[in-house]
Amino acid sequence: MAYAYLFKYIIIGDTGVGKSCLLLQFTDKRFQPVHDLTIGVEFGARMITIDGKQIKLQIWDTAGQEAFRSITRSYYRGAAGALLVYDITRRDTFNHLTTWLEDARQHSNSNMVIMLIGNKSDLESRREVKKEEGEAFAREHGLVFMETSAKTAANVEEAFINTAKEIYEKIQEGVFDINNEANGIKIGPQHSAAGGASGAGGAGAGGAAGGGCC
Amino acid sequence: MPSSDSEDFESADEGSPETDKKVRKKRTSSSHYSDSNSQETNTGDKVTAKDNSQKVNVEPNVEAKTDGWDDFDIDCPVENEKLTKVKETKKLTKEADKPQSTGWDDFDDWGNDDATATTAVTTEKTQTDKSAADIKELTDRLASATSKNSGWGWGWGVDSLLSTASAGITTLTSQVSQGISTVLETGIGAPDPEELARINAKTTENTEQKSSSEHKSIEPSVVQEKEQTSPNEGSFPFGSLFSGVTKFVETTGTKVIAGGLDTLETIGKKTMEVLQDGDPGLAKKRAMLGLDPGEKPVLSQILREAKAKADEEDKIREEKREAKEVHYENLFDDFEGLVHLEALEMLSKQVNMRIEERLRAAEPEKKQDIKETMQQVVELCEIPEDEEDDDEAPEHQSKPDALHDRLQTATQDLGLKLQFQPIVKQYTDVLAWLSSNSNLNEKAVYKRAVSSLAQATALAVEIYHKTAEMLLVKTRRSTADEADAMTQMTVVLTKHVGELATLFTANMNSIETDNKDQVNTYITNIFLESGNSSTYIQNAFQLTLPILQIGAV
Repeated sequence: MAYAYLFKYIIIGDTGVGKSCLLLQFTDKRFQPVHDLTIGVEFGARMITIDGKQIKLQIWDTAGQEAFRSITRSYYRGAAGALLVYDITRRDTFNHLTTWLEDARQHSNSNMVIMLIGNKSDLESRREVKKEEGEAFAREHGLVFMETSAKTAANVEEAFINTAKEIYEKIQEGVFDINNEANGIKIGPQHSAAGGASGAGGAGAGGAAGGGCC
Repeated sequence: MPSSDSEDFESADEGSPETDKKVRKKRTSSSHYSDSNSQETNTGDKVTAKDNSQKVNVEPNVEAKTDGWDDFDIDCPVENEKLTKVKETKKLTKEADKPQSTGWDDFDDWGNDDATATTAVTTEKTQTDKSAADIKELTDRLASATSKNSGWGWGWGVDSLLSTASAGITTLTSQVSQGISTVLETGIGAPDPEELARINAKTTENTEQKSSSEHKSIEPSVVQEKEQTSPNEGSFPFGSLFSGVTKFVETTGTKVIAGGLDTLETIGKKTMEVLQDGDPGLAKKRAMLGLDPGEKPVLSQILREAKAKADEEDKIREEKREAKEVHYENLFDDFEGLVHLEALEMLSKQVNMRIEERLRAAEPEKKQDIKETMQQVVELCEIPEDEEDDDEAPEHQSKPDALHDRLQTATQDLGLKLQFQPIVKQYTDVLAWLSSNSNLNEKAVYKRAVSSLAQATALAVEIYHKTAEMLLVKTRRSTADEADAMTQMTVVLTKHVGELATLFTANMNSIETDNKDQVNTYITNIFLESGNSSTYIQNAFQLTLPILQIGAV
């Protein structure tokens, strides 16, 4: 399926906050309680529709472990949107937000849309971080805020799609230069060349979007 | 310019009142510039007059023409006046180039002439007996008037400079207006300039034949009459000049406007003529634009056409979709090959930057060491030339298992826990598909072949990417082992995609088909894509190099 735009997202945040689960819920609509530790970065993709346009979200799900921090930093570049995730049941993950935010702002382009996500909202009984705190942090740093649950899928779609909507609006406003791929936005292939042998080459070639998931 | 010119004019001047002359003489001494102006313009007048009369240099002719012009003024149509404008601009050009040699006395004549030319557009001068409606005369008069204008407006002191400038402008203007007048002439049916010139020449010839005495007798009277028409001239010598100028400006303005409207009208008429040419009432054009309400298409016809169009589009879309299905690059992207390659590239670049930083920070003698080490890594990573030690899988082992073993063996020195299951599983799937599906057509095999190659390559690139990431977080590095392992792994993976291609082409060859050409094309493409796969794998390997190098420096 062809797309009008491709947005590159990154998901960042402490290890174990549920980044990979959020991605899996969004791309596969399923929840996997036990998940391998992410090494470096994993990828996911899904098509969404905004304003009647097909948009492919290419999501880079980074490793939260401290050891991978230097690697994941090199992936920030060229992202149009970021989901900064913390765990509402673990105060320390909320406390680390400032560091994550600084990292993200330093290594990405300034126009990147950042969505703050308080995950595991289904675990209300174990809540350590109030919703108001998340809202306040988001307001203070100019982020969009949302509490989600990768388990129940609450607000998961909204988190990804609202970020895309903001990016789309920024494109309409001319904030993003869509021809500059460093902004994390690619224009979809108009009409891909017909089959047959294609030249060998680097990673520059655009391609058709995959199906609903990877 | 003959020297007799001034004399002739002098004689003409004889008839004018003495007071008038005195005033003028006085002026010569007091204000030189105005004289030079008048001289200049006067010269222009004469020159142009001569020019128009086709190089007739007998001065009386000029006077004769003066009469002729007056005459003409009565029945001169607007169209002709436009023509004269063209000419007058030409005159100006010439005037500018002329040296100021003639006597100032000439001024008398043109001054008066002008007064008549502009103020007395009446029947006053009907006494003159020039027969032909000498259009040229009109142009001459206008020319003199204009030249006077320019003399007044521009000539103060810096005549020569300004006249040169205006010469340029007028040349331009004359060319432009010439074009316009040509259009007008053809549209309205006025005689063309050449013809006018010819008529003009004829008339001047005629006048030439007449006795000069006749002219002389006429001239004074003409001059006298002119004097009468401008009574204030005595008290203020410039009076006639001023009124002449203003009048001229007025008339010219009207002419310009009238000319502009005429032009527009002519253009409009012409347009309609062209449009209606061979199409009276614009019937055809209306039909072409679909403005005619009479010919409404039948609904069923429209529906039939729409259906045919939709069918055609569907067919094209289906073809495109199929083309995309077997498009290697798209498939490679779908299998996340591209994004892994992109991520690997980002890592590679960053590590390269770090190496460069270290190089910059290092001591000079250390720098050389680092460079040497890096070169050694590059050498270690050179793919061996076709070492045909095809360690065929043991009989009891399946091909996918053999692949897994080879990969494990190759990478055991890396000290990493790499995941080879995906690529092994894919291999298993391909083999299963090929063996379970007999009676496959060539198209299906081809599609599967391209897709399998793209997928295997994407999985291979992912291995490089993951290996790079894991190497970077590894605490203890052993660069030589790593380089060797990576090289071996590259050999195994490259061979694997080659093997896939061979499997598919062998299957393709076994297909019974009438379309052997198509099969051959497919086989060629499969081998091409397998070459493509190898290139991607080699690229991924090269991108991993800095990650190996940084472990050593």
